[in-house]
Amino acid sequence: MSDEHVLDSLPAYALGSLEAEESRRVDEHLSSCWICRDESNSFQMVVEQLSFAAPAAAPSPDLKERLMQRVHSTRLAPRVQAQPAKRPWLERLLPAWGLASLCLLIGLAGSNLFLWQRLNQLPVGTTSLGMRAVPLSASVAGSTATGFVLISADGEDGALVVDGLPPLEEGKQYQLWLIRDGQRTSGAVFSTDENSYGGTRIRAPLSLLEYSAVGITIEPQGGSPQPTGKQVLGGPLFSP
Amino acid sequence: MKSDYARYDDERLIRLITEAREEALDQLYDRYNRLVFSLALTIVNDRATAEEITLDVFMRVWQKAGTYRADQAKVSTWLTHIARHHAIDVLRRRAVRSDQYAVQWEEAIYAKSPQQDPQESAELSMRRERVHAALAQLPPDQKQAIQLAYFGGLTQSQIAETLKQPLGTIKTRVRLAMQKLQSFLRDEQNSEDKSVEAQRTYNISKEE
Repeated sequence: MSDEHVLDSLPAYALGSLEAEESRRVDEHLSSCWICRDESNSFQMVVEQLSFAAPAAAPSPDLKERLMQRVHSTRLAPRVQAQPAKRPWLERLLPAWGLASLCLLIGLAGSNLFLWQRLNQLPVGTTSLGMRAVPLSASVAGSTATGFVLISADGEDGALVVDGLPPLEEGKQYQLWLIRDGQRTSGAVFSTDENSYGGTRIRAPLSLLEYSAVGITIEPQGGSPQPTGKQVLGGPLFSP
Repeated sequence: MKSDYARYDDERLIRLITEAREEALDQLYDRYNRLVFSLALTIVNDRATAEEITLDVFMRVWQKAGTYRADQAKVSTWLTHIARHHAIDVLRRRAVRSDQYAVQWEEAIYAKSPQQDPQESAELSMRRERVHAALAQLPPDQKQAIQLAYFGGLTQSQIAETLKQPLGTIKTRVRLAMQKLQSFLRDEQNSEDKSVEAQRTYNISKEE
């Protein structure tokens, strides 16, 4: 078969509508026949243009924001391997925490990569550079979720890393709330990966030193103006 | 500055994305989100799913821009290729065929995106018109076969089953339709190339 031209099959091949066996035969033939390959390329060009036949439609205006949030999320918390569950919370979070905080650390004047190693050996809330790692605890009975908030010395930068928060169903995301005088302000909307890890940079209108506590709730995709779901993780930050 | 990115061509944006420049992704999104979303929506017929597919396509660009090969495809082709295959995968996982393939392609709306550069918007509209004109040359049964293959991701056997027609009939329809489209779009491309060349010659002579 591979010696016979396959010109009649090329239109359907370009569309991807051949049966698997026939598609394989065409593949094999094209690898050695420039005549059919040229013709195949020509039909591929037709298929490429068919995408323009789809009736024009526009996605929601907030889709770009969701995209950029995902981008930030992946930059701050690349995938890591699941860790055994028996180690202390800070140690278990080390891979995600180290990577997630990297961007933040780089952005902070005077930061260095020894910070993380040292932080792991210091009591919570103290680092040589005045950065604070504030642990969060599960708000739901029986949950093993943990996490912490890292806040720069001046309160202008912050990162969140969580562990043990399972990936949510489609259309849902976790949202971090910064609490001040009983008012809740969104600090981040994020998702967790298949290992139940997640991380994100915290964005706040005020210095993070101004907030007394944080909470994480489950909200519709993209986040809500105010919390609507049950709190799953939280903890006190400072006493302003 | 974002205005600088607006001046960069697609390939340069892809190179900048490999350097993790978010502004480049932002710009590429502005250029092609409607094309990707429109294609995904036509295939899956559900806005929320089409938006998720659009997000996945641009996330893949963000994470895999280094795999793009300019000598193999234009950026727009790469994007629509990813979008189409991802959308068809979603459709197959659902194992439910929607009935949107009866859509009248001629009813496409040419609304300009507020995010899109007017020139890019006009170019997209022009390309759409060209493809619609080509499709308008086809008899309805041939057009239907192409729709089911391209937007439905169906094999020829599945199309035959769906339309309750002999497989040989479907093969003939697909082949004839693609040959006509090939001929029409190639002629259009040639005349477009000549027009561009004529304009370039005119501009050169004016400068001289």
